[in-house]
Amino acid sequence: MTQRALTASDAGLLACLTCGLLSRRPRRSAAACPRCGRALHRRKPYALVRSWTFLVAAMVLYVPANLLPVMETESLFGSQSDTILSGVVYLWKTGSWPLAVIVFVASIMVPLLKMLAMLAILIAVHVGVRVHREDLSRLYRVLELIGRWSMLDVYVVAVLVTLVQMQLLATISPGAGAVAFGAVVVLTMLATISFDPRLIWDSGRVLGRPR
Amino acid sequence: MSSLLACPHCDLLQRNLEIARDAIARCARCDAALYRPYDENLDRPLAFTLAAAILFAVANAFPIVGLELRGVETSATLVGTARALFDENMALLASVVFFTTVIVPAVQLTAMLYVLLPLRLGYAPRYMPLALRALQAVRPWGMVEVFLLGLLVSLAKLAGMATVVPGTGLWAFGLLLLAIAAAVASFDARAAWSRLRLAR
Amino acid sequence: MPEAVAVPRRRFGFEWVWLLPIVAALVGGWFAIRAVLQDGPTITISFKTAEGLEPGRTRIKYKDVDVGVVKNVTLGKDRTGVVVTAEMSKAAEDLLVTDTRFWIVRARISAGAVTGLTTLLSGSYIGMDPGKSTDDQREFVGLETPPVITTGLTGKQFVLRAEDIGSLDVGSPVYYRRLEAGRVVAWELDKAGTAVFVRIFVNAPYDQYVTTDTRFWHASGVDVALDANGLRINTQSVASVVVGGLAFQAPDDAAPHPPADENILFALFNDRAQAMRRPITIRERYALVFDESVRGLGIGAPVDFRGITVGEVRSIAPHFDRVKRQLGLVVEIDFYPENLFTERARAGELTTEKGPTLARLVGHGLRAQLRSANLLTGQVYVALDFVPGARKVSMDVARQPPEIPTVPGTTQELQTTVASIAKKLDSVPYKEIGMDLRRTLQLSSETLERINREITPQARETMTEARKAMEEARRAIEEARKSLASVERTMTAAEPLPAEAGDALREIGRAAAAFRVLADYLERHPEALIRGKTGDAK
Repeated sequence: MTQRALTASDAGLLACLTCGLLSRRPRRSAAACPRCGRALHRRKPYALVRSWTFLVAAMVLYVPANLLPVMETESLFGSQSDTILSGVVYLWKTGSWPLAVIVFVASIMVPLLKMLAMLAILIAVHVGVRVHREDLSRLYRVLELIGRWSMLDVYVVAVLVTLVQMQLLATISPGAGAVAFGAVVVLTMLATISFDPRLIWDSGRVLGRPR
Repeated sequence: MSSLLACPHCDLLQRNLEIARDAIARCARCDAALYRPYDENLDRPLAFTLAAAILFAVANAFPIVGLELRGVETSATLVGTARALFDENMALLASVVFFTTVIVPAVQLTAMLYVLLPLRLGYAPRYMPLALRALQAVRPWGMVEVFLLGLLVSLAKLAGMATVVPGTGLWAFGLLLLAIAAAVASFDARAAWSRLRLAR
Repeated sequence: MPEAVAVPRRRFGFEWVWLLPIVAALVGGWFAIRAVLQDGPTITISFKTAEGLEPGRTRIKYKDVDVGVVKNVTLGKDRTGVVVTAEMSKAAEDLLVTDTRFWIVRARISAGAVTGLTTLLSGSYIGMDPGKSTDDQREFVGLETPPVITTGLTGKQFVLRAEDIGSLDVGSPVYYRRLEAGRVVAWELDKAGTAVFVRIFVNAPYDQYVTTDTRFWHASGVDVALDANGLRINTQSVASVVVGGLAFQAPDDAAPHPPADENILFALFNDRAQAMRRPITIRERYALVFDESVRGLGIGAPVDFRGITVGEVRSIAPHFDRVKRQLGLVVEIDFYPENLFTERARAGELTTEKGPTLARLVGHGLRAQLRSANLLTGQVYVALDFVPGARKVSMDVARQPPEIPTVPGTTQELQTTVASIAKKLDSVPYKEIGMDLRRTLQLSSETLERINREITPQARETMTEARKAMEEARRAIEEARKSLASVERTMTAAEPLPAEAGDALREIGRAAAAFRVLADYLERHPEALIRGKTGDAK
């Protein structure tokens, strides 16, 4: 093992993200993986642009996702609108505090943290920080893992809507907040997926210019 | 070249060494998990995939859970849940739910079967790269376990006011979860890729 | 260059892992087979409208048990109705025969009941009533309204012939002693259009009380009658007020009759009285001549013998008697000897062949008289009774109709007595008494003031006397009031006034007189209030 940190990019090699094969980068043309045929790029194309777009969109939609009701309950006793937060409060008040915690973490904290983390990573890449890059990398990997769990509340609403269809006794219908929330989760996931984590370790080199 | 690999997270070139059982190779620089011990065994992932496929069929065919209140009964299947959202004019949400809980697992299972079966029988299927690529692409979008947790949260919410009737689909669903996880975990893509000869 | 690692070729060894899919397959297969076996038949039912039916959700229920679920609702081929496809459970397979009926249960208000309200909460469902046939069937035509009687109900059907339908409708209740005993199932107009046939279903165990002697009558709504018997309000139940109904009962005093067979025809009367009336088979016409006013007597007024209705007034007409040169009023009545001579009637010995049945009684002093039925309404009826000391008269049986001699009615006497009472009451000098009272009270109050200042035993004594007099007056007035009450009662009973009335009136007169004397004296000797009456030693 050499002491110098040599990246594939330094060595003029392209790593195939699908099958892992390293192959030499052709001089001037676009490259394809010899084993699996996938188009090869040094870094994910438009990673930063896409990531920023998705992230900003997610942040914008986060507001209506929390303000608009995700669920409307109609029963003989009247109508009731629930936002994500009021759902958590209801769970807490009725004594199911483990559930309240789960929903709160999954539906309020996680998306928020995801967006903030992604924001931090993107800013770090743009600024060109060289310290704590391991932590940023780790942060990214955590984001990859937990991203999907924010969808929890969407499924909760979906199941409730499906089951509670009892005409006048009780009927639940989904609210606009649910769509917004689902969009937020999808967008943050897309932001994470389209980002290239190798960019964290590229700082110090000039971005965007092929070597 | 197959003795070297680049860390997908920090691009560092490292040697592709064989590691001991129960060990896991990590990137020297950024500590990302790189690979697990090379596992040529195709029986295990295949068995898990088959079990998962059957369970997937059962989980979708029978209702997962039912609700009963004052003589009124309703029930939910996976597809039915997406359908219910669709009926409420939430087509976008319905498609997201449908995609993440039905399409993605189906794609995963199909792709794995498509690759594993021929490999087990000794040859590489024609569209193996495509299948493996699809498998990798949909992996972050599979949310069956999140759905299950969401289901449990809803049931906990409803248990107080109505009678919850677990259906056949519920057990199949839980087992499906485990089966898919086991199948994906025991499937070593590198072993599959190594079967492919280089085009050039 | 690292060396390739030699990987031993794996033999085909059985790995435990393969148990998993095998087990999964077995379990899955078992569920699948079970589902297929449990699948019942699929049926189609056609309705006019699918209102309230939801595919996948609406259930089919028999005796409140889910036996099927609606799978699909489509328009019928000719676009005039809908076709409902439903999957039935295995258990219900043998219930699907040719005369099985289906209907949609929605919230509805119909004759006799508001039903199905729970469907507002839980959604409509399809009710099912299996038939008795042995032929299987899978395509049905649904009923638009729930059937009135479903299989499994025991009881009997009967047909009633009525003049009009009244307020009856399909589903109207049938009552026995005010218990709901059955329902109207159907009705139709007689072919000649002269009567309505009403088909009813009487549930067990009430059907055993329908005997060959049972009478049926309309029990709809509220019966209000104001006649010679007074004001009567009669109703079976609130339901019958709303939706109409009919009742049945056998006459209580009749000998027990055997239970009626199914589908026997009965008559439907308009009310209970009519229904229970002993059927009149013999009618005799008599004439009564009155030379007093018959005001208050109407056609249909009862002819009464000591409280029993024995006939009915049929016609009233003036008649000039050339012999006596008098204008009289001839009242013709129908007399029902069966009501009077009930024992002979029951024994079947009653006959008019030997001449009018009343002939002998007239010879013994039976007369006809007009009596007041009700002072309030002024109604009058004909009373037949034996008059003591009546002249011997024998009925002229040759005349048609035979005549019953009459005596003056009590109305006249009553009027005279009332007039005299009124005169007496008139003669009481109320005005003077009133003025005297006022003056007395004035004096008394001044005197009382003086007495308040100086109370003397004489004044007290005089006061006591005055109080006594007033007490007497009050008592007398009280008695007078009581007597007047009894006078009122008396007037309705149409009997001679008791003597008490006169007594009471005299008392009033006396009390008033006493008071007047006292007042006069006090006027002349106001000091008596203080000093006492002169001559009264103290």
